[in-house]
Amino acid sequence: MLDFVIAQVDNLQDAAPLEGLTRDSIILGEQYYFFTVVLMWLIHVGFMTYEAGVVRRKNVMATAMKNILTIAVVTPTFYYIGWWVYGCNQPGFPPITPNSTDFSVLQCQSGIPWADSFGPNLTNNINLVFFLAFLLFSWTTASIMSGALLERVRLSAYLVLACLLGSVVWILDAAWGWSAGGWMTVRFGFHDSIASGVVHGVAGAFTLGVLFNLGPRIGKYTRDGLARAFRPHDLHRTLLGLMLIFTGFYAFYAACLVISSTAFPGWANIYLSPTTLGTIAMIITFGFAGGFTGGYFASRGDPFWTVSGGLAGVISVSAGADVYAPTLGYLIAMASAAMVVYAGNWIEKKMRVDDVVGAVAVHGVAGFLGVLWVGVFAAGYPTGINNVDSSLWGQLLGIATFLPLGFLTGWFASWVLKKLNLLRVPPEVELEGLDVVEYHQDLYLPEVAVVSERLIEPDGTIVEADAVIAEAHSEVIRR
Amino acid sequence: MPLLIDSAPDCIVHREGATPADDSLDFILQDRYADCAGFGTFMPGSTYGEDGSSAETLYYILTWLGIVVTVLVLIAWIVYENRQLVGHVTRLSRRPAGPDDPPPPQPGI
Repeated sequence: MLDFVIAQVDNLQDAAPLEGLTRDSIILGEQYYFFTVVLMWLIHVGFMTYEAGVVRRKNVMATAMKNILTIAVVTPTFYYIGWWVYGCNQPGFPPITPNSTDFSVLQCQSGIPWADSFGPNLTNNINLVFFLAFLLFSWTTASIMSGALLERVRLSAYLVLACLLGSVVWILDAAWGWSAGGWMTVRFGFHDSIASGVVHGVAGAFTLGVLFNLGPRIGKYTRDGLARAFRPHDLHRTLLGLMLIFTGFYAFYAACLVISSTAFPGWANIYLSPTTLGTIAMIITFGFAGGFTGGYFASRGDPFWTVSGGLAGVISVSAGADVYAPTLGYLIAMASAAMVVYAGNWIEKKMRVDDVVGAVAVHGVAGFLGVLWVGVFAAGYPTGINNVDSSLWGQLLGIATFLPLGFLTGWFASWVLKKLNLLRVPPEVELEGLDVVEYHQDLYLPEVAVVSERLIEPDGTIVEADAVIAEAHSEVIRR
Repeated sequence: MPLLIDSAPDCIVHREGATPADDSLDFILQDRYADCAGFGTFMPGSTYGEDGSSAETLYYILTWLGIVVTVLVLIAWIVYENRQLVGHVTRLSRRPAGPDDPPPPQPGI
């Protein structure tokens, strides 16, 4: 039976002209990226659901609107700037990749907003869908930041920062280290195949820079600097959101591959080195398995950190997902998720940085750990069009480049907004809740009972929040 | 019908009047696009291999219009939200305070 099927396929190939096969291959690629784009919307749905569950009830609508409007601003800015940044900045600044000049010129031409291939074009089926896949990466990158700033950042400030992160910063580092012709790739063999550092690490670093200027929510810390915990108003919704993000992550991973069905082996990573779809799908799945386990035990069964551990686990194996053996991915994810739980608690309690969703730890720490692990566990793989081997030094160079790029741009942009008094909502608005002030309504129907808010003091006792928050608010006003 | 704005590129072949349909594959419109690569509105309608070098004045204007609108929208967002927040705080501060005033309304959890 199998012989018969193979013979039929051979007959069809003999009959089909070469031109037709190539055309079919291109249209297959077009469909492939199209469906990854559709499925990657689930990441955004997940971010919205997740964050809306994490916040207190008075900020649910503002949170959801923030996520939705990310699409409204990052889409045009990424179209007008982002694709040009990616296509035209791969040699670096100043250019240090003379060997990739031709490659870069070709990339650059299709990234200019008035390029012929960047609109309706009958001879280029790939550029637009490939752009759209990257656009969804941009939404994701901006959304990574959004969760950390919840309940006190101005919508407009967030949107400006989202444009900067989603349409300039991350795509600049992608041009340098996440392309076959990027200077970090062709000179130093930097290897981050599914964007551990390129997307997650940089977004985490950018977010940390913003959080330093934004400050904590009113009442988050006691006068002694001890952290209180605001309870998510709907933890189930938060977990559901994370599961939606996980589903979309499969499409994210798939969209990071290059498909070429008429050439061996049919698939390549972003550096055009061979891999398979099955390889990365296995690593995602084992990354989740290891991450959930590591998160569970490191947090002693805390649901939030267990599920966040899954996300951290996947992020930590993303950089080498094209080459890792499943067991290695499983173990790396487990260890990394445990480290992320400790890092998250340290950031909250020792650094006193109020990161509502733990984005700096889950994305930033896990992302840079993922970059590092490639240097330790996957050195020696030829990367990029110059076939330079991946190495520990190349990976460290990547971290040394991406970390300041993300942190400093985030810190500086938010510092400017802070100086203009445009970064944070007034304390009165924060106390009352953003929904009522910005949207003139409580999200919930009148018949849904309002329950008084509670929070967890540093010693673990659960208390009524109103008095504590009101006192903290008074202190802020006095200052 | 006369065209109010002819935004189709020159590579698209126009024919006057309606053409009778027939049963052959040729009745579909693709033969009108035979010379086209880019065929979007106000695009020049170039052929393959001229990516990025073929924009015409109208298409530049259209693109820059989009860029300007995007920037203006971001500025408008900042201004609008700032007015909204400052206005709300001003209204709160004008309200006479008294010892029996209830705390600001909070929807709670």
